[in-house]
Amino acid sequence: MKSLKFEYRITILYTLIGGLWILFSDNILHLLVNNRAKLSDFQTYKGWFYVIITAILLFFFIRRQLNKHRSLEIALQEHQNHLEETVKERTKELELNIKRLKDTQAHLVQTEKMASLGILTAGVAHEINNPLNYIMGSYVGLHRHYEENSFSDHPEQVGKLIEAMKIGVDRSSSIVKGLSQFSRKSDSYDEDCNVHEIVENSLIMMSSQIKCQISIEKDYSNSDMVIKGNVGNLHQVFINILNNAVQAIESVGTIIVKTREKESEVVITIEDTGTGIPKENLKRLTDPFFSTKAPGKGTGLGLSITFNIIKEHKGRLEFESEVGKGTTVRIVLPKINRP
Amino acid sequence: MSEKIKIIYIDDEKINVMLFQINFSVNYEVYTGYSGYEGLNLLEKHSDTKAVISDLSMPEMSGIEFIMEAKKKYPEKKFYILTGFEVTDEIENAIKSGLIQGYFRKPFCMQEIEKEINKLS
Repeated sequence: MKSLKFEYRITILYTLIGGLWILFSDNILHLLVNNRAKLSDFQTYKGWFYVIITAILLFFFIRRQLNKHRSLEIALQEHQNHLEETVKERTKELELNIKRLKDTQAHLVQTEKMASLGILTAGVAHEINNPLNYIMGSYVGLHRHYEENSFSDHPEQVGKLIEAMKIGVDRSSSIVKGLSQFSRKSDSYDEDCNVHEIVENSLIMMSSQIKCQISIEKDYSNSDMVIKGNVGNLHQVFINILNNAVQAIESVGTIIVKTREKESEVVITIEDTGTGIPKENLKRLTDPFFSTKAPGKGTGLGLSITFNIIKEHKGRLEFESEVGKGTTVRIVLPKINRP
Repeated sequence: MSEKIKIIYIDDEKINVMLFQINFSVNYEVYTGYSGYEGLNLLEKHSDTKAVISDLSMPEMSGIEFIMEAKKKYPEKKFYILTGFEVTDEIENAIKSGLIQGYFRKPFCMQEIEKEINKLS
């Protein structure tokens, strides 16, 4: 009986009761009632009795069944709500994991790139510095010779020619030095970082990218601006931001580099008169792999890396931008990042 | 000035050695060699040498290895590295531990090196 479905059970039960009633109720009535005249009255009572009893039985039977259904439905609803919450929670976890994964990937790509670049630059720097050393040695010898002896023909010109050698060596040497500092591999955040020197180095390294229609205006603070940090990583910060500024300028434009010293921090502002950034993109600028540049022009890692480096320095990175007018990037770095 | 200060310069590149010899011989007595081994021999011959300047990357024996060997025998002498590399961990450690007195970058700066050596007279 239990394994049968409700509709079968109720039908069978009803048929059984009805059948039994039809079979036996009249016989029982005849046994109980002898008075023939009253028999038809009792027949009516019996009918009513049957209807009331079956109605009561049906009521309890159906109610029991429906109650079972109702509690099931409530349980189901609860389960569903719980499921929705679980899905929401899991989705959040998944999103967080994806973000972490992207961050890690960006970090890995960058670390790998910088490691190869570091090896390459150190090698190249060493190979260039040696021949530069030859030229410097020759210059020193020639210069002394020139000071001690007068050259009969055009002594002034010879002096200028020798000095030009020195200027050439000094300039090449400072480029090599800048390059080495940029790709310097170090995990320390306790190095002395001369902000002006780093910004200048970055500008030298960007000079081939800075098209001749872009003018660079410098407004440096008079103070020395030496902070504690990581020299190589700070080079990356300025190169990334300057690179974005250069790429934002389509033809003619200006980049203004401003430095200011405050009590416990330094502020470097890089302002460009480029295309600007739409509001909806401002929030996503530092997301890894977010890029609006054409394929091959940018990886979408530059500002994400920049942001992480500044975070490591316990500093802040702020953007202000207006489409068609340009973008201002403000880098705030504490003088000592680990007190 | 009575006698010139004696210095030793070690570099595996011949042009560097030649130029150093020409430029520094004006004010100092310069002995040069092309390897750490030659440097150790020179130190033995010229025990009154005040300063030793060495290249960093050389075949067989690096500048640091040479100086470590030399420092054992001649702890009173002053040692310097002259290299085309930026400051490396190896150089930094050598300065911290007192193995070398200082570090010069290539292309060299005459005044910077002379200033350091003249401190020793």
